[in-house]
Amino acid sequence: MEKQNRRSFLKTTALIGAAATGISTKSASAKPKNILSEDRMGVLVDTTVCIGCRNCEWACKTAHNIPTEDQIKYEDRSVFKQMRRPEPNAFTVVNEYPNPQNSALPTDVKIQCMHCDHPACVSACIVGAISKEENGSVIWDTKKCIGCRYCMVACPFQIPSFDYNKPMNPEIRKCDFCIERTKKGLLPACVKNCPVEALTYGPRNELIKEARERIKRYPDKYFNHIYGETEAGGTSWMYLANQDFSKLAFPSPGDKPMPGASESIQHGIFAYFVPPAFLYALLGGIMWITKKRNEPE
Amino acid sequence: MIKKIFTIVVVLFFALTTYSQNKLPKNHSLSNLTCKTCHSCDVPTKKNPCLIACPRAEMVTINQSPEQAPEVEILKELSNRYMPVVFSHKMHAQMSQMSGGCETCHHYNTIGPIQPCINCHETSRKREDISKPDLEAAYHRQCINCHREWSHSNDCTSCHALKNKNESISISSYVKKITGKSHPALVEPKKVVYETNYNKGKIVTFFHNEHVNLFGAKCIDCHKDENCTKCHDKTKTTFAQQKASDMPIKIRKSKEEHHKPCFSCHQDDKCNLCHKDKSMSPFNHAVTTGWALNKFHENLICEKCHGSSSKFVKLNNDCNNCHKDFAAGKFDHKVSGLKLSENHKDLDCIECHKEKNFAKAPTCENCHDDKSFPKDKPGTEVNVSLKKKR
Repeated sequence: MEKQNRRSFLKTTALIGAAATGISTKSASAKPKNILSEDRMGVLVDTTVCIGCRNCEWACKTAHNIPTEDQIKYEDRSVFKQMRRPEPNAFTVVNEYPNPQNSALPTDVKIQCMHCDHPACVSACIVGAISKEENGSVIWDTKKCIGCRYCMVACPFQIPSFDYNKPMNPEIRKCDFCIERTKKGLLPACVKNCPVEALTYGPRNELIKEARERIKRYPDKYFNHIYGETEAGGTSWMYLANQDFSKLAFPSPGDKPMPGASESIQHGIFAYFVPPAFLYALLGGIMWITKKRNEPE
Repeated sequence: MIKKIFTIVVVLFFALTTYSQNKLPKNHSLSNLTCKTCHSCDVPTKKNPCLIACPRAEMVTINQSPEQAPEVEILKELSNRYMPVVFSHKMHAQMSQMSGGCETCHHYNTIGPIQPCINCHETSRKREDISKPDLEAAYHRQCINCHREWSHSNDCTSCHALKNKNESISISSYVKKITGKSHPALVEPKKVVYETNYNKGKIVTFFHNEHVNLFGAKCIDCHKDENCTKCHDKTKTTFAQQKASDMPIKIRKSKEEHHKPCFSCHQDDKCNLCHKDKSMSPFNHAVTTGWALNKFHENLICEKCHGSSSKFVKLNNDCNNCHKDFAAGKFDHKVSGLKLSENHKDLDCIECHKEKNFAKAPTCENCHDDKSFPKDKPGTEVNVSLKKKR
């Protein structure tokens, strides 16, 4: 009798729990801001123009109050000896690659968050800390972040970085498209500080037109592709180059929006709580069979 | 004092640009462009030409030498962290003569006056028209690529000085430093010996001095798209240094690249004109053509007898090839250093020069019994200048 009671108790709790989890998953996926505005802004990075001065790196750190050395130190080109990735204290980095057209002028490529049109990180974040704003920027809210690092896994460009030095106050860090500056009507710090305007800031639609125009006008100079126009469903930051983008360490995420894949997995697992319920049922079944076998004849 | 220098530079700039550029070429409407490239309205008039600010057509009309252009430009529109840039325009223009010329920087300069960059390139980076870079970027793009190629660095301070209090003093000292200076004379190799991969004649000897001084080739005939790094590269030993030695230089470029400068003149010549088994000796008219040049001919440039330098015409030994007017009484004898007197002027050449052999001394015995050359002369001696007749 006692046993029976315990079993029924477990059954009820499991049911309530399941219901509760079902509800909570629903409320957690309560939509974060994910706006795909027609007038969203973007940046066109012309790597054929970039000179690798790293002024953007300096400007970015300065604008985000990250301590950094004097601007003159950035003239040191030995940093290009190894490939660098964005870090918690460097939202953008410039890497250098050989230029097949002219070995004396290597190709320099600035990397930072691409600010996807359909950000995988927004979709992956289970607490809705990341959002896509109307002006195209993908930003995050430190207060909401629980440090699960799902966004890092989801990002096709491996951009979000995690500040491991602050375990109690988790913080995902990445380029925020200088949202604080653009709100005030200023240009993003890197765009403002580029001495050769390799970074052009403008409405994304206009940038695509301009990029097409450049390729048309100088077909010998440009590789005929605008990286970011369709990659991962389109990104706010787009690139022009004089060679195949795979040679410049750009990933090939395909043209479909990333959340399609991650959401189907994530949402599929918890859809109507059927797969977990099925799993519980399966486990319960196994338990029941084992128990029945062990019962004395 | 500083202000004076400024004013002089500015006035000089405007005077020169207006003087040399303010005219439209005649019949400019017949040039290979549509009117709409430059004019926004259907019927442009002199009073209202309705010019488009920056037409994007491959069309440049700068036809002035570096010496006509301003010597020094002070680029000060954007100075903030750094001081204005004192730009040695003349020296850079001289360097550009062997590469893209004026249009390397003055691109899209339409018919008419030379446009300052600021006419098309806005000073603000936040702007509507994103099709052109802003002024800062436009300046930097023009400068940095070449500077980066030869110095392999991006340092700002090779053009900009960091701002200090004595701004005006240091600017004037910079201006002073480069005023009146030209690009140093180029070190021209006399002779270059190449070792090629051509089996029937590995060695090609190129006499640079002969092509320039004798054959009348202009620098730009061969040196059209030279890169700054050909001479300016901080890390490499220069090609000129290599060429100073007499050792054959292994070819480095492709066959086509090496032949390209030669082929503009030598397209119909046989390979063995240049490709030999050993290095050649300098050009000698007697050896090559079998006709030694006398003291009058040896100072002439080839074009004088053989036509345009791009295609020399072979001649035979007949003086009348060139001297069409050499006939009895018509030869201007004073070029030989002796002006004939009235009595001798109209005589036939053979009267004095036996069998038309001008190498031998002339004789007087045909007419005179008591006279002999050189004691007696049929005229008066005159000085003949043996300057090059170009």
